[in-house]
Amino acid sequence: MTVKGLRVWYQVHKWTSLVCTLFLLVLCITGLPLIFKDEIGILSGTTVVPPEMAPDTPEVGVDRMIEDARRRRPDDQVMYVSRSSDHPAWFVGMAKSVDAANPTAVFKYDARTAEMINDLPQGQGFMFVIRSLHVELLSGLPGTLFVGFIGLCFVASLVSGVVLYAPYMGRLKFGTVRKEGHKRRRWLDLHNMLGIVTTAWLLVVSLTGIINTLTIPLLSMWQRTELVAMTADWRGQPLVIHPSSTEQAVETARAAVPTMDVAFVGFPGGRFATPHHYMVFMRGKSALTARLLKPVLIDAVSGKITDSRTLPWYLTAILVAKPLHFGDYGGLPLKIIWTLLDLAAIGVLVSGLQLWFRRRATADADLERLAALS
Amino acid sequence: MRVWKWPLVLATLTLFGLLAALLGQTEGWWIVSWLCLAVPLLAIARSLFGKRR
Repeated sequence: MTVKGLRVWYQVHKWTSLVCTLFLLVLCITGLPLIFKDEIGILSGTTVVPPEMAPDTPEVGVDRMIEDARRRRPDDQVMYVSRSSDHPAWFVGMAKSVDAANPTAVFKYDARTAEMINDLPQGQGFMFVIRSLHVELLSGLPGTLFVGFIGLCFVASLVSGVVLYAPYMGRLKFGTVRKEGHKRRRWLDLHNMLGIVTTAWLLVVSLTGIINTLTIPLLSMWQRTELVAMTADWRGQPLVIHPSSTEQAVETARAAVPTMDVAFVGFPGGRFATPHHYMVFMRGKSALTARLLKPVLIDAVSGKITDSRTLPWYLTAILVAKPLHFGDYGGLPLKIIWTLLDLAAIGVLVSGLQLWFRRRATADADLERLAALS
Repeated sequence: MRVWKWPLVLATLTLFGLLAALLGQTEGWWIVSWLCLAVPLLAIARSLFGKRR
């Protein structure tokens, strides 16, 4: 590679890294507890698991749970009900209005007894702050989009780092971290080793993170295009104040798509439905399909199914990207591996910062020497 | 090409490990995933704590 080419890649690596390093440190550190959010929830008591019962214990209908939730918060409206993917439990989300952005209360019910087992704290607690920092830097949608921009800078930094790796390694053996000599050389060896070993994982986590930051804009796009097309015949109709049985909507959707189970039911007038319909999102029953959703539209007056489609590719991409970003899809050992790789990523960032602080005036001379070697 | 041999091996193992747990239908694939993803960590440990070559 020519000196000019090397200098361009060096500048790309330097500036993209400088822009994103401090924010990435925040993301890496807040990402650590998020890997273990389920375990932390159980240990801290914010997650309550339904008690063990015989596996064939029958379940009761979700309407009883909705009635109970309405009794507990008579001034609120039900926004959605959702089914736990891990346990026989339902969640009922409530807010002041059905189209609110966030629920004011989420109750968890045992699906076999309709007993309320947990009142999930909303908008408070350690994990809420950690998640808000990680997802939106405590700044809402603009913060989320900024995190996406930081992710793009990091991808550019990774690519330029890989380009610079070969000339910097020269004749060194793979994985060499020289313990003697200048401290800066030691940090450079460490930076190169940690960076190149974790490159593939860092690329996957950063690309899936960028995809995750687009969730709200892409969901909004789907609502404005495909959902509008699905409900064109009901346009302009008033909100259904007293919708038909939710339990019946659940059973109708299950009968229509027997290979899948109910994941989420958006109530009429809510952000995930229409004024005239329940929106039931079905998920697959196998490990492979459990993350993929299929929307089923149920008329909230007649209780009959009106449409069902597969999600567009961009929303499927978001559903697949989530586990690949958070590492919560392969048991506790995968979470531990994720943690160690995250710590390695922090090592890449800290060693990169050290190189910046210990930068030498002879950087240009270094580049010419490296260009000659490569 | 010599300089790219191990980086390519580790990247392949990483990607295979990530997809094995996601796409595998049995718990056996989880174990394959853990083993593949442990290799880059072992490479780091060897560089940091292994004997000088």
